[in-house]
Amino acid sequence: MSENLLQIKNISVTFKTRHGVLKAIDDLSLNVKKGEILGLVGESGAGKSMTGAAVLGLIDPPGRLSSGQIWYKGQRIDQAPETIRGHEISMIFQDPLVSLNPLRRIGDQLVETILTHMPITKAEAVDRARKGLEEVGIDPERINAYPHTFSGGMRQRVVIALALAPEPALIIADEPTTALDVSVQAQILDLLKQLCRERGTSIILVTHDMGVIAETTDRVGVLYAGRLAEIGETRDVLTNPKHPYTKGLVASTPRIDASSFDKTLYQISGSMPKLDAMPNGCAFHPRCEFALDKCRIDRPSIIADRAACWLLDGEETLL
Amino acid sequence: MSFVVAKGLTRNYDLSEPLIVRALTMRPKRILTAVDNVNFSIEKGTTYALVGESGSGKSTIAKMAVGLLKPSAGTLIMDGKNLNDPALARNEQLALRRRIQMVFQSPYASLNPRWRVGDIIAEPIKAFGLIDGTKAQFMRVSELLEQVGLASSDANKYPHEFSGGQRQRISIARALSSQPEVIVCDEPTSALDVSVQAQVLNLLKALQKEYALTYLFITHDLAVVSTMANKIGVLNKGKLVEEQSPTGLFSRPQQDYTKMLLNSAPSINFG
Ligand SMILES: Nc1ncnc2c1ncn2[C@@H]1O[C@H](COP(=O)(O)OP(=O)(O)O)[C@@H](O)[C@H]1O
Ligand code: SF4
Ligand SMILES: [Mg+2]
Repeated sequence: MSENLLQIKNISVTFKTRHGVLKAIDDLSLNVKKGEILGLVGESGAGKSMTGAAVLGLIDPPGRLSSGQIWYKGQRIDQAPETIRGHEISMIFQDPLVSLNPLRRIGDQLVETILTHMPITKAEAVDRARKGLEEVGIDPERINAYPHTFSGGMRQRVVIALALAPEPALIIADEPTTALDVSVQAQILDLLKQLCRERGTSIILVTHDMGVIAETTDRVGVLYAGRLAEIGETRDVLTNPKHPYTKGLVASTPRIDASSFDKTLYQISGSMPKLDAMPNGCAFHPRCEFALDKCRIDRPSIIADRAACWLLDGEETLL
Repeated sequence: MSFVVAKGLTRNYDLSEPLIVRALTMRPKRILTAVDNVNFSIEKGTTYALVGESGSGKSTIAKMAVGLLKPSAGTLIMDGKNLNDPALARNEQLALRRRIQMVFQSPYASLNPRWRVGDIIAEPIKAFGLIDGTKAQFMRVSELLEQVGLASSDANKYPHEFSGGQRQRISIARALSSQPEVIVCDEPTSALDVSVQAQVLNLLKALQKEYALTYLFITHDLAVVSTMANKIGVLNKGKLVEEQSPTGLFSRPQQDYTKMLLNSAPSINFG
């Protein structure tokens, strides 16, 4: 599990606007290991989806990757989009209809995807498509059905079958279960976990749901205002968070617990800064109850491979 | 009698094809019973949570409670008065409507983007003729904004200038402006991130304490209501299948459906 499949090195994504250049992602680095599920969590606008888009080379202009590098299997890919991305990296979106053409039978869409990625005959591709459906829990006999004849959860399964068809080594799943009921969500997440185990596929799972992170991911990166606030083994980060923002997120998550009644939830006051009003120093300092003078001036980078917070400075050995 | 009572509440939707098509194809009418003989009661100043998956009928009940939809059968009673009594005069109906307000799921869709926040909040005050005079209305709007944790100067801004959580505060101020006794909250925090969700839930609770508000709180997320529901009703395919206190429901769920909901809710607890 220790081999790095993907390395994101100091990337920034900027947008030129009338109000100047805005940084949606600011000097972000992280690695995805082979066969792991890496969660990316944070509030909307924190840069989760943008990170996924950067890896796939799908940043819409006027946005662009303005600095940094992305390496995949030891090859730099941020300069050469077409070659690897698409063949080796698949994407799953929140809305299945982004990936599915409503006017075409699911089988045709699967076969087409398979044929663009593999040098095999049509008959072999149909065979693979049926196997693919079976693998995600859909009756292969429904290969000729149209997307609208499936429920939301079943449609997302079809999307997963499509994403898996080129046998990617990495899947980026952006809020894949947010629109689904909890029971269906649990099935889809189990399916992703199982695929990961059986095929050694790596997954970047983008979500704002701390419960989904806890139950599905091996490691988690917490994003705040386009920066990585904390990263580590999921259990470690959620049970022993180091960054005050992560602490706040964990503490404000409501739990199904009989003793919660009438208790006030922990709340982080204020809100995430807008891109055109980023504070100096640590982006979290206006909301941080531990902020030091230094936090208002100097931006902390990730300390002790764990959190971008000055509180960890000089404590590397304690971790 | 409890402050709010739902008695045999039922709502059908007619999903049939047009009459002419049915006549030609001989296909029968198709009626969906979205809410099926639902009974519950809420004590004054408490929160009743309705929990269920999509399509279980939650929003249909919410809309009936605030008069946006008419029940097909059954009724809602508030403070001893039948909200669906056809004999009610227009002004009596209006007087009842003032007392039940709603906060919607999407703080994006529910606020008119072309209105200033102050006008959005003042609208119910004007509609129900609660306060006369622009100056006095303005004062009331300022007071409401401050109650929900915003600044009185925010009255001059437009909804798009606010974050999701702040917009939901505006929705709450608007709901409060007619001085209601009951607020129906339909997934008020589903579109928000956890840190912001906690702010909004805490605010709703503080307001409940202050004004003895009665909440009908609709959600698909059992954890969200764990801090505030006095009672939880579980809705499955339009039917209320179980009702318990959170303590009871979380520790001794009776129905398989409830157990399934509890088991599949993703949890941050490592156990
Ligand atoms: N205007 C409508 N016309 C026809 N069917 C509807 C309408 N509104 C809701 N429904 C159906 O009624 C059922 C309950 O819907 P709803 O109350 O919105 O559920 P929930 O809020 O729990 O997701 C669903 O099957 C839904 O498709
Ligand atoms: S660096 Fe300072 S302001 Fe930022 S999270 Fe740490 S203590 Fe708080
Ligand atoms: Mg609903």
